[in-house]
Amino acid sequence: MNGADAVLDAIRQAFPEGSGVAVAPPSDLPTLRVERGTLLSLARFLKDDPRLDFSLLADVCGVDWLERQDPRFEVVYHLYSIAKGHRLRLKVPVAEEDAVVPSVYGVWKAADWFEREAFDMFGIRFEGHPNLRRILCHPSFQGHPLRKDYDPGQRWLLREGEQHEPAWARTQQEDEDHFETQVLNLGPSHPATHGTLRTVVRLDGEVITQADVEIGYLHRCFEKMSEQHTWNQVIPYTDRLNYCSAMMNGVGYALAVEKLLGIEAPPRAQTVRLILSELSRIMDHIVDIGANLNDLGAMTPFLYMYEAREEIYSVLEACAGGRLTVSYVRIGGLANDVPPDFEEAVRWLLRRIPCLMDDMERLITENRIFRDRTQGIGVLSAAEAIDWGWTGPCLRASGVAYDVRKAAPYLGYETYDFKVPVANEGDTYARYLVRVEEVRQSLRLVEQALSRLSPGPVIVDDHRVALPPKEKVYTEMEPLIWHFKLVMEGMRVPPGEVYGCTEAANGELGFYAISDGGGRPYRLKVRPPCFAVFQAYPHMLPGHMVADAVAILGSLNIIAGELDR
Amino acid sequence: MNEKDIILCEVKPLRFSQRFYLVEVVKGLAVTLRHFLGNLFRRRYTVTVEWPEVKREYSERLRGRHVLLAREDGSPRCVACYMCETACPADCIHIEAEEDPTAAVEWEKRPRVFTIDLLRCVFCGFCVDACPKEAIIMTRQHEMAFADRQEAVIGLEELLQKGPIDRLDLGYRPYYGPPTRHIQLPIPVSRQTEGG
Amino acid sequence: MGGRDEGTRARSAGVAAGPGRGDGSPAFLTTRLEVLLDQARKNSLWPFPFGTACCAIEFMSVMMSHYDLSRFGAEVVRFSPRQADLLIVAGTVTDKMAPVMVRIYEQMAEPKYVISMGACACTGGFYRAYHVVQGIDEFIPVDVYVPGCPPTPEALLQGVIRLQEMIERGETHYQRASAARARSAGEGQ
Repeated sequence: MNGADAVLDAIRQAFPEGSGVAVAPPSDLPTLRVERGTLLSLARFLKDDPRLDFSLLADVCGVDWLERQDPRFEVVYHLYSIAKGHRLRLKVPVAEEDAVVPSVYGVWKAADWFEREAFDMFGIRFEGHPNLRRILCHPSFQGHPLRKDYDPGQRWLLREGEQHEPAWARTQQEDEDHFETQVLNLGPSHPATHGTLRTVVRLDGEVITQADVEIGYLHRCFEKMSEQHTWNQVIPYTDRLNYCSAMMNGVGYALAVEKLLGIEAPPRAQTVRLILSELSRIMDHIVDIGANLNDLGAMTPFLYMYEAREEIYSVLEACAGGRLTVSYVRIGGLANDVPPDFEEAVRWLLRRIPCLMDDMERLITENRIFRDRTQGIGVLSAAEAIDWGWTGPCLRASGVAYDVRKAAPYLGYETYDFKVPVANEGDTYARYLVRVEEVRQSLRLVEQALSRLSPGPVIVDDHRVALPPKEKVYTEMEPLIWHFKLVMEGMRVPPGEVYGCTEAANGELGFYAISDGGGRPYRLKVRPPCFAVFQAYPHMLPGHMVADAVAILGSLNIIAGELDR
Repeated sequence: MNEKDIILCEVKPLRFSQRFYLVEVVKGLAVTLRHFLGNLFRRRYTVTVEWPEVKREYSERLRGRHVLLAREDGSPRCVACYMCETACPADCIHIEAEEDPTAAVEWEKRPRVFTIDLLRCVFCGFCVDACPKEAIIMTRQHEMAFADRQEAVIGLEELLQKGPIDRLDLGYRPYYGPPTRHIQLPIPVSRQTEGG
Repeated sequence: MGGRDEGTRARSAGVAAGPGRGDGSPAFLTTRLEVLLDQARKNSLWPFPFGTACCAIEFMSVMMSHYDLSRFGAEVVRFSPRQADLLIVAGTVTDKMAPVMVRIYEQMAEPKYVISMGACACTGGFYRAYHVVQGIDEFIPVDVYVPGCPPTPEALLQGVIRLQEMIERGETHYQRASAARARSAGEGQ
């Protein structure tokens, strides 16, 4: 591929052989093996060089190669260039005894929480990181859970009083008029239905002067669980990642694993996945806008729009059997075919949802109170947003037109006619407008996809991947054996690694999957879009009031299931 | 991305009547009053399903409580092959096998103990997908509340099919046949007759 | 203070029968006032939705128009533990969140009831993991367990109805504890 070769050439020119940068064997992305001494200079070069322009740090994660031990840990960086459209993977090997890597926080601020997570999960220290402490596990946790020698069930109790308080919150401070400033805790049990997020703020009157955020209250150990289960058994776990749009996580995961396997789901499965993904996107935006409005005091639109969500649930339940956590996707396609009246039901939805959205817009969009509360609140400029690793509607509201469906299409998105909404202000109102427009674009997509629904199989006909049809399992010998092997051992995925990303409701949802040839994933890292978005939140708060903090939080659409995994 | 792929969400400045706001109050009240008056006389916008007097019909693929199907003589079809136990991501099925002396086939097994912990179960349906004998399927019974954790661990006796198969309220299972129920949109708020 | 008054009333009413779950006998002998109070309490539960994960979304479904929880008297969702009497734990509780949940439970005033909604809150679900509490009854007493992942809204409503029946019969943890206090206060005399 021209793009990849040009990238590697430019890097080889600046960092010739022997300078600590080596090109690794090809996998799905161009990969470099970097020594930690050269990491910072390479990172600066990759970001600043105009030919490369890797402005977005998508992911930083650790991998534990306990058996290979050459050396034990590896820190993997995924980079993306929004302007040029190319991707790169960097791998920095670190030994266990001396697990220190220079932090790239000075180059991309997005590394902030990703490096903290690698420290939490593996014990790799990042030199130069401003705030290196545990992020997902609780402060009294001992050990590093994603190491291969850590027992998955080993728990540590957190007692009352052992919770973390930021250092600045423990001291008393006075403002210029010698009035004492107050420290307030927002969360983790939150009236606004956002789940388990905790913000500690220092208030001068009503204005926030300092803020800190604590997450990890819903850390359910998705990545460790995925290492204990087979590739298909991970699918119910993926449903619970972004539970407001459960199907999209499963689709993203299945696409990544199918890339590793080198198979493609049949066209009917692709179309149904697209339809249900877009319906899930509509559901997610409804919950986000509704919850945001609920926090601001406008409760009526939430009730109106929730009807749409219930009706989409009916369709999902008729296809899959579950309302919220559908588990409908399988590697290679879908679990079952859609019911015969699927098209009619979706067409009914396409008539109904715009009416509900119109009602909501009539009440809200030109509403002076809503505008006063949201315009100019929580502004983040485009350059800042990219530096923090933002993707999705929040980034598009700051003026950057990056959508994975257009940049690296999957499921056939390049053949559909839809637009990507972008706004320029970057405030809460802009994020609301972008989401409302995205709902309308999703409705257009569903309508086009419905007309392309053609009869055919819904799962690939490969017995190494998909369970054979039940009639054959009941009557013939070989399908029974294949069925038995698939259930007992799991599907065997050839060794390799893949970074598959899709445009989830919040942004770029990435799955970095490493297979060692067995029936279980060796390492499965989820790149959650709201993880990168939320790390900028404490830096957006100072100067706003407490009520604005709630409005901003609602507009960012932080789903704790995805954030904490 | 091309220019034509982008739609710019512009912020339209507010007109005087919108800034003055009283006109907007009336317009907003018009929307809510429409819903209110519509519900008051003809219940046009009512969507509440008045459970438990009115029960909504879920599809015939709903993943509810499990049932072990029986053969003609009443013994379970299950041959204790352990596939459902292996396929379950929650490890909520526990089976102990024993030899079945009454079986027509030699060396066939049957379950001595078959328990499902309903409080661990995530109702994913993988056990139904994994069963090679169509011995375990799911019904549409989804309303179960327990006062005790022990109450929720159900054994072979409770799981075994009671009554003929066409009387069971079947849910997720391998064959659906021609659909007897359609997706009902909008969700009906009154009791529906069978075969709707 | 409330306990002492109840003890006085129970003592004057007579000797309480032994605790009987399932054997048909009542958990304690009630006065007419207690019966009236329990009717009032069961029909006006004020829930505290301790929503952490996916079950919180289904709980929101229960509060919304399609399955209205307010038909059972429980519309007033209070996010302050001082004002709520029904703690609905909806979603996974992790080890980091457990002290928060315990603190909220302790801050609630009696009478209080707990519904554990969903597989994760009841037993930890399929997260047999290093950071997940394997059932909230490790920390707080639970009255009703609602299975499902997430439970359908009807399942949660059935859980609420079951809790209402338990309150009427005096089988909840709070009622048993106050009956035991009353009995021991009566025997101490």
